[in-house]
Amino acid sequence: MSNTQSTHLHPAARMYAAECRAGKLGRREFLTRATALGVSVPAAYGLLGLAAPAAKAQTPQRGGSLRMQMDIKAQRDPRTWDWSELANVCRGWLEYLVAYERDGSLSPVLLESWEASDDATEYTLRVRSGVTWNNGDPLTAAHVAHNIERWADASVEGNSMAGRMGAIAEDGKLRDGAIEIVDDLTLRLHLSSPDIAIIVNMSDYPAAVVHPSFTGDDPVANPIGTGPYRPVSHQTGIGAVIERNPDHTWWNEGNGAWLDRIEFLDLGTDPSAWLAAVESGEVEILYQTTGDFIDLFDAVGMVKTEAVTASTLAVRFNQDQPPYDNVNVRRALQLAVDNEVVLELGYNDLGEVAENHHVCPIHPEYAELPPLEFDPDRAREMIAAEGLADHEFELISIDDAWQAATCDSVAAQIRDAGINIRRTILPGATFWNDWLVYPFSSTEWNMRPLGVQVLNLAYRSGVAWNEAAFANEEFDRLLEQANGIPDADERREVMRRLQEIMQEEGVLIQPYWRSLFRHAMPNVGGAEMHPTFEVRYQEYWKS
Amino acid sequence: MLFFLARRVGMMLLTALCLTVLVFYLTNLPAKLETLAKTQAGARISDAEVASWLERNGYGAPMPVRYGEWLGVVPGWVHESPDGTLRGRCIARAADPAEAPTYCGLLQGYWGWSTRFNDAVGSVIATRLGATGMLMLWVMIVMVPSALAVGVLAGMREGSRADRTLSTGAIVSTATPEYVSGVVFIAFFASSTVGLSPLLREWGLLDSPVLFQGNARSAMEGITFWNFTLPVVTIALYGMGYIARMTRASMTEVMTQQYIRTARLKGASFRAIVLKHALRNALIAPFTVIMLQFPWLLNGVVIVEVLFSYPGFGWTLVEAAGNNDIELLLACAVVAVVVVLLTQLISDIGYVYLNPRIRIS
Repeated sequence: MSNTQSTHLHPAARMYAAECRAGKLGRREFLTRATALGVSVPAAYGLLGLAAPAAKAQTPQRGGSLRMQMDIKAQRDPRTWDWSELANVCRGWLEYLVAYERDGSLSPVLLESWEASDDATEYTLRVRSGVTWNNGDPLTAAHVAHNIERWADASVEGNSMAGRMGAIAEDGKLRDGAIEIVDDLTLRLHLSSPDIAIIVNMSDYPAAVVHPSFTGDDPVANPIGTGPYRPVSHQTGIGAVIERNPDHTWWNEGNGAWLDRIEFLDLGTDPSAWLAAVESGEVEILYQTTGDFIDLFDAVGMVKTEAVTASTLAVRFNQDQPPYDNVNVRRALQLAVDNEVVLELGYNDLGEVAENHHVCPIHPEYAELPPLEFDPDRAREMIAAEGLADHEFELISIDDAWQAATCDSVAAQIRDAGINIRRTILPGATFWNDWLVYPFSSTEWNMRPLGVQVLNLAYRSGVAWNEAAFANEEFDRLLEQANGIPDADERREVMRRLQEIMQEEGVLIQPYWRSLFRHAMPNVGGAEMHPTFEVRYQEYWKS
Repeated sequence: MLFFLARRVGMMLLTALCLTVLVFYLTNLPAKLETLAKTQAGARISDAEVASWLERNGYGAPMPVRYGEWLGVVPGWVHESPDGTLRGRCIARAADPAEAPTYCGLLQGYWGWSTRFNDAVGSVIATRLGATGMLMLWVMIVMVPSALAVGVLAGMREGSRADRTLSTGAIVSTATPEYVSGVVFIAFFASSTVGLSPLLREWGLLDSPVLFQGNARSAMEGITFWNFTLPVVTIALYGMGYIARMTRASMTEVMTQQYIRTARLKGASFRAIVLKHALRNALIAPFTVIMLQFPWLLNGVVIVEVLFSYPGFGWTLVEAAGNNDIELLLACAVVAVVVVLLTQLISDIGYVYLNPRIRIS
């Protein structure tokens, strides 16, 4: 993918580059920050005095068809998508404004470039020229504005984009004057408060760009998009077939869309069924491999790719439910758990130890805090002091293998500390009914590129996904402040305090950051695991 | 005879009605409706959004009313959104909302809409039953002849070595449930690292990585010996033992009858005695057992279809139950009742032809 270098280089980008050279900043973090400010990837590498890595070591081959195991769920309006799989099916024809890359950078897709004002309250977006929809219409700035307006509409049930567009919304819909259409291919966003994540948010999977004529619920039934593929069939729970669209010229012709055909097979959730299908050659690439099956798929001759991520399992307390309304109880349970042991027993050591504050070292603004305490004896004393020595705690989890194993090892350590605890495992069909209100349970959280993003989504007072029922005035105020600091080093100072509050308030036991794995046959190329589960099959190929 | 048939059909309708009321009640419990809203509109939506989704999609009316809508004796729900567009149970079926029928339920031939598969229940059930029909057909082709052969061979000389060996085999196969035998077969025949396949490859007898496919999804496009053997054998083996035991019991009983002794005294050969005199009488009991196997097979296919990811009726039932797909589950219940009672009816009628001493009514 090419990128036009913007002439104006954001001042913070040069500063980051200096820090990166001085070793104060990881390269991955530098790339995320610099590209979020509108600096192109080659330019960002250039600031470090490096050449951008060559796109592919091997030359992709055109042609062939690929069969991939992936859940196929009933489709609905993209902005209400709640599973990455829903987006992945449609990625061949519904494209995004920007894309989050495996190295942590943002690359332009339907935007050619973007620039942030120095205080991050005004963004200028330049729409790529020469992009057409597969019905022949050219893509214009008005189409992009229409999509942003759709995202900002909070009146649609389950529209998760609305929460991400807060800075341009008002009363649950787009604020008047928030979008200014400068010309056919340029638009400007005027934010009510500084938001450094707004462009990054547009790479998230519900942000697929749809044609203005799209009103319905099903993007497969009416597949107008800008991408090179089109759906042939889509059967929930069974599979979907996608083929290259012969009646459409893709803007990025020659840089992808290698495969003639992609078949998704939904073989259920049991990895042993996937193994049987791989063994008989029915499936060539898997969506994701976890736990003990990683070794098994290695053994049958598949190649493993890994993505280091900020995805995690949040074993959180709900502070509305006694006894977890008591901070001492929450702190005591945290003290009883050694996160390193949980990582080893619950996730086969396939990740990094985390520190109970849901900010990951790969996030640019991560601040290093003193190591966590682990003191089971004190934990027991604290629980006894609260008069709960005979209380039986209950830890709830979904019946997914690694999530259940992780909670088992959390519960086992609490039990070892001499505290009574019971484990409850609920099937997936019923677990999600009450995920927000379980007193003590675990929830899988996928990664967001910036540290403030998950804090905004899950821990700010009163937000829809605040399953911890965490409400802290100081936390909210500081988070608001952090959201407006484009410079990650300055933001880190605020972030340090935010992380400390998370720990002091004992919001959650967050044992580890997951690495994600995917297996594919050796002849499949360009299909490495992506940290946010993207399946960009327009980049896949077979030899 | 006609009275008998009418009574049976009436019985069938009554059973179906009772069962669907039960299924409808269980799938429409408030918690279940909440699950449905969350699977449909987003796993992480709020309680207020759940309530508004249920209201907008016709789940707001009391349960008996909605059961009536499903049956087609109460007018289908209609919801008018603020911008004036009409949504409703019957409206989706007509091109123009104004022309939509008032009633659309089972009585009008409309089976409802599957929320899980996003398709009309009628077409989902038809496709899936077709797939299961193929599976059952092959199971019957494999199971019935081999079970009868084993039973007759074992039963014609009670207590012989052949009888003991075959009976032991039959007991073992009946005693192994599908979820055990299926997994054992996959490990033994369909793995490139353990079991038979690596051995055969080493000897140069096998070109493909595995002997049989441990996943029957490709059988949807075309059934081959390679992809269909394991699921068929898994179900067939379980039913086979039972039918073989019944046949053997019936055969041994027949072989002690007076007319067999008469035939023997008459000088007929053993072969002629078995084939001409014993077999027909010995097959009456197994015939009923075979007919009763049909409903039982519906049971077995649930496990086997899920295990081999073969999207048939059993697989659909699991998907529908897991996603609280109300109308699909109701249809599954009706189909199950019809299959069970219809096969019993056939077995009763067939009995009359096999045994002239029995009269219906």
